[in-house]
Amino acid sequence: MTASSKVAVFTIVFGVAFAAIYVICTEMNLPLVTYHPAIGEVDVLWVPERRGPAMYWYGWMLTSLIGALALAWLASVVPEQWVQRAIFFGCAAAVGYLIFYTVALFIYDRATVELEFLKSRPLAVAAALVAAAGISFFAPSRWQQRLWPGWVWLVPMGALTVLAYYLTPFFTR
Amino acid sequence: MTFWTTLLIIHGLLAVALLGAITHQAVAVWMPARAKAGNFVTRFRAVPSTSYVAAIIVLYVVTFVMGAWIYTQYRFTARLALEQLRFFKTVGVFEMKEHVATIGLIVLPAYWAFWRQPLSEDYVGARKSVTLFLAIIVWANFLIGHIANNARGFGS
Repeated sequence: MTASSKVAVFTIVFGVAFAAIYVICTEMNLPLVTYHPAIGEVDVLWVPERRGPAMYWYGWMLTSLIGALALAWLASVVPEQWVQRAIFFGCAAAVGYLIFYTVALFIYDRATVELEFLKSRPLAVAAALVAAAGISFFAPSRWQQRLWPGWVWLVPMGALTVLAYYLTPFFTR
Repeated sequence: MTFWTTLLIIHGLLAVALLGAITHQAVAVWMPARAKAGNFVTRFRAVPSTSYVAAIIVLYVVTFVMGAWIYTQYRFTARLALEQLRFFKTVGVFEMKEHVATIGLIVLPAYWAFWRQPLSEDYVGARKSVTLFLAIIVWANFLIGHIANNARGFGS
């Protein structure tokens, strides 16, 4: 089995990493810069709005760009199997987290006793990591050989789904 | 205001060109014409897909940069008006537009890599998928841009 080209590996991982980091940046508000359009000024990192609204979108993209370039470079120098395994594990963990946390909140809402621990995000993350490790371990080896090019649209599509979910308050008020 | 209106119109025209190019390529890749070109639909499907790649990348990047520039004006003029008018759904879809545009931009390097000459047999499926994904993104953003502009665009 021939290896994928370095250019393909770099660009696929760039897209995947950017999408993942971008979602984290928007959720945790981690811009590299803050732009104030009304006064035309730029601040480094997150700064609250002053004399008009603040724009963080450019900053989120810059943060994601740096992270994605670093990871894409790293992916182009390590064995391809490692990259495929890492993305597979990451995706399994992300899906696992969504499932565990959703189920936990569902149970919490309907439980007749107070089960505060079900609202814990770290607990859902831990459960997702364990599940992802198990799935990765038992996944067929042929899935782990080459970097699957489909990640480059599947992960961004998942990122868009999460980003759309974050925007639901705009549509429910 | 004339400056921003002019930019918005150019942004819209570039988006139309991009929409045409990516739709042409997506249709040609997913439904290639097997018979000799005849009617309009067959000719639409029979275009050489590879010839669109550079144009699509350039158009996307230029449209994106212009949109990101106009966004600064939108943020403290049109958006504030939309919020005061309680057009929250319109604001929401425009927020989605910024995310969708970003996601489309980051897929471009892989799109370019999959379409590099000579075309690799390894990426036949990836070429089709990424082209379709990009087409969906461009269509979504085009329609969202239209909605936002109709609510509080140039001339309003």
